[in-house]
Amino acid sequence: MEATFMAALTGLTSIGGYYVGVKLLHLPTVGLGAAIGKMLESVGMVLIFLAVNLVLALMIVLLARGVTGAFVSAYVTDDSVWLGLSAIQGLAFQWWRGIAATSTAGE
Amino acid sequence: MGSRVDRVARLIGLIGVVGFLVTAFTPLAHRLNLATAVPAELVPSDAIVVLGAWVSPSGTLSSESLRRTNHGIALYRRGLAPTLVLLGGSASGGPSEADARAEQARLHGVPAQAILTETRVRTTREEAARVKELLQSKGARTILLVTNAGHLARARPLFERAGFHVYPAPSDSFVEASSPESRLELMRVLVREFFGWLFYRVAGYI
Repeated sequence: MEATFMAALTGLTSIGGYYVGVKLLHLPTVGLGAAIGKMLESVGMVLIFLAVNLVLALMIVLLARGVTGAFVSAYVTDDSVWLGLSAIQGLAFQWWRGIAATSTAGE
Repeated sequence: MGSRVDRVARLIGLIGVVGFLVTAFTPLAHRLNLATAVPAELVPSDAIVVLGAWVSPSGTLSSESLRRTNHGIALYRRGLAPTLVLLGGSASGGPSEADARAEQARLHGVPAQAILTETRVRTTREEAARVKELLQSKGARTILLVTNAGHLARARPLFERAGFHVYPAPSDSFVEASSPESRLELMRVLVREFFGWLFYRVAGYI
Protein backbone atom coordinates (compact mmCIF):
# COMPACT_ATOMS: atom_id res chain seq x y z
CA MET A 1 0.00 0.00 0.00
CA GLU A 2 2.76 2.41 1.04
CA ALA A 3 4.83 1.51 -2.04
CA THR A 4 1.83 1.94 -4.36
CA PHE A 5 1.05 5.34 -2.83
CA MET A 6 4.66 6.51 -3.25
CA ALA A 7 4.90 5.23 -6.84
CA ALA A 8 1.55 6.79 -7.76
CA LEU A 9 2.38 10.15 -6.19
CA THR A 10 5.82 10.43 -7.81
CA GLY A 11 4.23 9.36 -11.10
CA LEU A 12 1.75 12.22 -10.77
CA THR A 13 4.39 14.82 -9.88
CA SER A 14 6.49 13.59 -12.84
CA ILE A 15 3.52 14.24 -15.14
CA GLY A 16 3.13 17.63 -13.43
CA GLY A 17 6.81 18.39 -14.02
CA TYR A 18 6.48 17.42 -17.68
CA TYR A 19 3.42 19.69 -18.04
CA VAL A 20 5.21 22.66 -16.40
CA GLY A 21 8.25 22.09 -18.64
CA VAL A 22 6.30 21.93 -21.87
CA LYS A 23 3.47 24.43 -21.28
CA LEU A 24 5.01 27.04 -18.97
CA LEU A 25 8.73 26.86 -19.63
CA HIS A 26 8.35 25.89 -23.31
CA LEU A 27 11.06 23.25 -23.10
CA PRO A 28 11.50 21.06 -26.21
CA THR A 29 10.16 17.55 -25.59
CA VAL A 30 13.00 16.04 -27.62
CA GLY A 31 15.43 17.18 -24.88
CA LEU A 32 13.82 14.94 -22.25
CA GLY A 33 15.60 11.79 -23.42
CA ALA A 34 18.97 13.55 -23.32
CA ALA A 35 18.15 14.93 -19.86
CA ILE A 36 17.40 11.41 -18.57
CA GLY A 37 20.72 10.30 -20.06
CA LYS A 38 22.50 13.11 -18.17
CA MET A 39 20.68 12.14 -14.97
CA LEU A 40 21.90 8.53 -15.40
CA GLU A 41 25.46 9.77 -15.96
CA SER A 42 25.28 11.79 -12.74
CA VAL A 43 23.89 8.82 -10.78
CA GLY A 44 26.62 6.64 -12.29
CA MET A 45 29.31 9.13 -11.24
CA VAL A 46 27.91 9.17 -7.69
CA LEU A 47 28.05 5.35 -7.60
CA ILE A 48 31.63 5.38 -8.92
CA PHE A 49 32.66 7.77 -6.13
CA LEU A 50 30.77 5.59 -3.63
CA ALA A 51 32.60 2.44 -4.76
CA VAL A 52 36.00 4.19 -4.64
CA ASN A 53 35.27 5.63 -1.18
CA LEU A 54 34.15 2.27 0.24
CA VAL A 55 37.04 0.28 -1.23
CA LEU A 56 39.56 2.86 0.04
CA ALA A 57 37.91 2.95 3.48
CA LEU A 58 38.10 -0.84 3.75
CA MET A 59 41.75 -0.86 2.64
CA ILE A 60 42.61 1.80 5.24
CA VAL A 61 40.81 -0.21 7.95
CA LEU A 62 42.72 -3.37 7.04
CA LEU A 63 46.00 -1.45 6.78
CA ALA A 64 45.42 0.17 10.18
CA ARG A 65 44.71 -3.24 11.73
CA GLY A 66 47.84 -4.72 10.14
CA VAL A 67 50.21 -1.85 10.97
CA THR A 68 49.05 -0.77 14.42
CA GLY A 69 47.56 -4.06 15.63
CA ALA A 70 44.66 -2.01 17.02
CA PHE A 71 41.11 -3.02 16.21
CA VAL A 72 39.30 -0.82 13.70
CA SER A 73 35.77 -1.91 12.78
CA ALA A 74 35.06 -2.62 9.12
CA TYR A 75 31.47 -1.54 9.85
CA VAL A 76 32.67 2.04 9.32
CA THR A 77 31.81 1.32 5.66
CA ASP A 78 28.22 0.44 6.62
CA ASP A 79 26.87 3.98 6.91
CA SER A 80 24.39 5.89 4.74
CA VAL A 81 26.52 9.03 5.06
CA TRP A 82 28.92 7.57 2.48
CA LEU A 83 26.12 7.82 -0.09
CA GLY A 84 25.42 11.47 0.80
CA LEU A 85 29.10 12.42 0.62
CA SER A 86 29.55 10.52 -2.65
CA ALA A 87 26.50 12.33 -4.08
CA ILE A 88 28.13 15.68 -3.31
CA GLN A 89 31.38 14.52 -4.91
CA GLY A 90 29.80 12.91 -7.96
CA LEU A 91 27.43 15.79 -8.74
CA ALA A 92 30.14 18.43 -8.31
CA PHE A 93 32.45 16.42 -10.57
CA GLN A 94 29.78 16.04 -13.25
CA TRP A 95 28.92 19.76 -13.14
CA TRP A 96 32.61 20.64 -13.34
CA ARG A 97 32.97 18.47 -16.46
CA GLY A 98 29.81 19.99 -17.96
CA ILE A 99 30.94 23.59 -17.36
CA ALA A 100 34.42 22.81 -18.74
CA ALA A 101 32.88 21.28 -21.89
CA THR A 102 30.65 24.36 -22.40
CA SER A 103 33.61 26.74 -21.91
CA THR A 104 35.75 24.80 -24.38
CA ALA A 105 32.93 24.78 -26.95
CA GLY A 106 32.51 28.55 -26.59
CA GLU A 107 36.20 29.35 -27.26
CA MET B 1 37.88 9.92 -23.44
CA GLY B 2 34.99 12.11 -22.22
CA SER B 3 32.32 10.21 -24.12
CA ARG B 4 33.69 6.87 -22.91
CA VAL B 5 33.51 8.07 -19.30
CA ASP B 6 29.95 9.26 -19.99
CA ARG B 7 28.95 5.89 -21.47
CA VAL B 8 30.37 3.97 -18.52
CA ALA B 9 28.78 6.39 -16.01
CA ARG B 10 25.43 6.14 -17.87
CA LEU B 11 25.51 2.33 -17.77
CA ILE B 12 26.39 2.28 -14.06
CA GLY B 13 23.71 4.90 -13.43
CA LEU B 14 21.12 2.82 -15.30
CA ILE B 15 22.03 -0.27 -13.26
CA GLY B 16 21.85 1.83 -10.07
CA VAL B 17 18.45 3.38 -10.84
CA VAL B 18 16.90 0.09 -11.99
CA GLY B 19 18.39 -1.70 -8.97
CA PHE B 20 17.01 0.95 -6.63
CA LEU B 21 13.50 0.81 -8.12
CA VAL B 22 13.37 -2.99 -8.27
CA THR B 23 14.61 -3.29 -4.67
CA ALA B 24 12.25 -0.64 -3.29
CA PHE B 25 9.09 -1.65 -5.15
CA THR B 26 9.30 -5.44 -5.54
CA PRO B 27 9.79 -8.35 -3.07
CA LEU B 28 13.28 -9.04 -4.50
CA ALA B 29 15.13 -8.51 -1.19
CA HIS B 30 12.67 -10.76 0.67
CA ARG B 31 13.01 -13.50 -1.96
CA LEU B 32 16.80 -13.25 -1.85
CA ASN B 33 16.72 -13.47 1.94
CA LEU B 34 14.56 -16.61 1.79
CA ALA B 35 16.71 -18.17 -0.95
CA THR B 36 20.01 -17.61 0.88
CA ALA B 37 18.74 -18.27 4.42
CA VAL B 38 20.04 -21.25 6.37
CA PRO B 39 16.93 -23.19 7.57
CA ALA B 40 16.36 -23.35 11.32
CA GLU B 41 17.15 -26.62 13.15
CA LEU B 42 15.67 -26.11 16.59
CA VAL B 43 16.76 -29.23 18.49
CA PRO B 44 17.87 -29.69 22.13
CA SER B 45 21.49 -28.60 22.53
CA ASP B 46 24.11 -27.91 25.20
CA ALA B 47 23.88 -24.10 24.86
CA ILE B 48 22.17 -21.25 23.04
CA VAL B 49 24.70 -18.76 21.66
CA VAL B 50 23.37 -15.29 20.77
CA LEU B 51 25.80 -13.31 18.62
CA GLY B 52 26.35 -9.58 19.12
CA ALA B 53 24.85 -6.87 16.95
CA TRP B 54 25.03 -3.28 18.21
CA VAL B 55 24.41 -1.28 21.38
CA SER B 56 24.33 2.51 21.75
CA PRO B 57 26.80 4.30 24.06
CA SER B 58 23.90 4.72 26.53
CA GLY B 59 23.34 0.95 26.60
CA THR B 60 20.21 0.79 24.43
CA LEU B 61 20.11 -2.38 22.34
CA SER B 62 19.63 -1.99 18.58
CA SER B 63 16.51 -3.56 17.07
CA GLU B 64 18.65 -6.35 15.56
CA SER B 65 20.32 -7.00 18.92
CA LEU B 66 16.94 -7.07 20.65
CA ARG B 67 15.48 -9.43 18.04
CA ARG B 68 18.36 -11.88 18.52
CA THR B 69 18.14 -11.59 22.32
CA ASN B 70 14.39 -12.24 22.35
CA HIS B 71 14.85 -15.26 20.09
CA GLY B 72 17.55 -16.65 22.38
CA ILE B 73 15.33 -16.14 25.44
CA ALA B 74 12.39 -17.83 23.66
CA LEU B 75 14.56 -20.84 22.80
CA TYR B 76 15.73 -21.07 26.43
CA ARG B 77 12.16 -20.87 27.71
CA ARG B 78 11.22 -23.71 25.35
CA GLY B 79 13.79 -25.81 27.22
CA LEU B 80 16.09 -26.33 24.23
CA ALA B 81 19.30 -25.76 26.23
CA PRO B 82 20.35 -25.23 29.87
CA THR B 83 22.74 -22.34 29.10
CA LEU B 84 22.21 -19.00 27.38
CA VAL B 85 25.40 -17.33 26.10
CA LEU B 86 24.98 -13.61 25.39
CA LEU B 87 27.70 -11.75 23.52
CA GLY B 88 28.49 -8.14 22.71
CA GLY B 89 30.94 -5.40 23.61
CA SER B 90 30.30 -1.74 24.34
CA ALA B 91 30.26 1.42 22.23
CA SER B 92 32.50 4.29 23.35
CA GLY B 93 32.96 2.89 26.83
CA GLY B 94 29.24 2.68 27.63
CA PRO B 95 27.41 -0.36 29.06
CA SER B 96 28.11 -3.56 27.16
CA GLU B 97 25.61 -5.21 24.84
CA ALA B 98 26.05 -8.55 26.64
CA ASP B 99 25.21 -7.01 30.03
CA ALA B 100 22.14 -5.19 28.64
CA ARG B 101 21.00 -8.48 27.10
CA ALA B 102 21.57 -10.39 30.33
CA GLU B 103 19.34 -7.89 32.14
CA GLN B 104 16.62 -8.49 29.54
CA ALA B 105 16.98 -12.24 29.94
CA ARG B 106 16.68 -12.04 33.75
CA LEU B 107 13.58 -9.82 33.40
CA HIS B 108 12.07 -12.54 31.20
CA GLY B 109 12.66 -15.20 33.82
CA VAL B 110 15.96 -16.73 32.76
CA PRO B 111 17.87 -17.58 35.98
CA ALA B 112 21.16 -15.72 36.43
CA GLN B 113 23.12 -18.98 36.79
CA ALA B 114 21.98 -20.07 33.30
CA ILE B 115 23.39 -16.92 31.67
CA LEU B 116 26.96 -16.53 30.44
CA THR B 117 28.16 -13.20 29.02
CA GLU B 118 31.21 -12.13 27.05
CA THR B 119 31.88 -8.44 26.57
CA ARG B 120 35.36 -8.38 25.02
CA VAL B 121 34.35 -9.53 21.52
CA ARG B 122 34.34 -7.27 18.44
CA THR B 123 34.09 -9.60 15.44
CA THR B 124 32.31 -12.87 14.64
CA ARG B 125 35.71 -14.55 14.56
CA GLU B 126 36.49 -13.37 18.08
CA GLU B 127 33.04 -14.49 19.22
CA ALA B 128 33.73 -18.06 18.01
CA ALA B 129 37.09 -18.13 19.79
CA ARG B 130 35.72 -16.77 23.10
CA VAL B 131 32.64 -19.02 23.11
CA LYS B 132 34.97 -21.99 22.63
CA GLU B 133 36.90 -20.92 25.76
CA LEU B 134 33.68 -20.29 27.70
CA LEU B 135 31.95 -23.56 26.85
CA GLN B 136 34.90 -25.94 26.64
CA SER B 137 35.11 -26.26 30.42
CA LYS B 138 31.39 -27.08 30.54
CA GLY B 139 31.81 -29.86 27.99
CA ALA B 140 29.33 -28.24 25.59
CA ARG B 141 29.54 -29.66 22.08
CA THR B 142 26.24 -28.74 20.48
CA ILE B 143 24.94 -25.19 20.19
CA LEU B 144 21.94 -23.36 18.85
CA LEU B 145 23.45 -20.36 17.03
CA VAL B 146 21.25 -17.27 17.06
CA THR B 147 21.85 -14.44 14.58
CA ASN B 148 20.20 -13.10 11.43
CA ALA B 149 19.94 -15.50 8.48
CA GLY B 150 22.43 -13.63 6.29
CA HIS B 151 25.05 -13.66 9.05
CA LEU B 152 24.63 -17.41 9.69
CA ALA B 153 26.32 -18.27 6.38
CA ARG B 154 29.55 -16.78 7.77
CA ALA B 155 29.06 -17.50 11.48
CA ARG B 156 28.14 -21.19 11.24
CA PRO B 157 31.42 -22.41 9.63
CA LEU B 158 33.41 -20.34 12.15
CA PHE B 159 31.74 -22.07 15.11
CA GLU B 160 32.06 -25.46 13.40
CA ARG B 161 35.79 -24.79 13.04
CA ALA B 162 35.85 -23.98 16.75
CA GLY B 163 34.70 -27.56 17.37
CA PHE B 164 30.93 -27.17 17.87
CA HIS B 165 28.10 -29.02 16.23
CA VAL B 166 26.01 -26.04 15.16
CA TYR B 167 22.23 -25.94 14.84
CA PRO B 168 21.16 -22.72 13.10
CA ALA B 169 18.49 -20.62 14.81
CA PRO B 170 17.93 -17.58 12.58
CA SER B 171 16.33 -14.65 14.37
CA ASP B 172 14.64 -13.22 11.26
CA SER B 173 10.87 -13.08 11.18
CA PHE B 174 10.92 -13.84 7.40
CA VAL B 175 7.78 -11.73 7.08
CA GLU B 176 7.87 -9.77 3.85
CA ALA B 177 8.76 -6.11 4.40
CA SER B 178 5.96 -3.85 3.21
CA SER B 179 7.63 -0.46 3.04
CA PRO B 180 10.20 0.47 0.35
CA GLU B 181 12.59 1.69 3.05
CA SER B 182 12.58 -1.65 4.91
CA ARG B 183 13.13 -3.49 1.61
CA LEU B 184 16.15 -1.29 0.88
CA GLU B 185 17.42 -1.88 4.43
CA LEU B 186 17.08 -5.65 4.00
CA MET B 187 18.98 -5.51 0.70
CA ARG B 188 21.69 -3.47 2.41
CA VAL B 189 22.02 -6.16 5.10
CA LEU B 190 22.19 -8.91 2.45
CA VAL B 191 24.88 -7.05 0.46
CA ARG B 192 26.87 -6.34 3.65
CA GLU B 193 26.70 -9.98 4.73
CA PHE B 194 27.70 -11.15 1.25
CA PHE B 195 30.84 -9.01 1.35
CA GLY B 196 31.51 -10.13 4.95
CA TRP B 197 31.26 -13.78 3.87
CA LEU B 198 33.47 -13.08 0.83
CA PHE B 199 36.10 -11.40 3.01
CA TYR B 200 36.14 -14.32 5.48
CA ARG B 201 36.48 -16.77 2.56
CA VAL B 202 39.34 -14.83 0.95
CA ALA B 203 41.09 -14.43 4.32
CA GLY B 204 40.77 -18.19 4.92
CA TYR B 205 38.73 -17.82 8.14
CA ILE B 206 35.99 -20.13 6.81
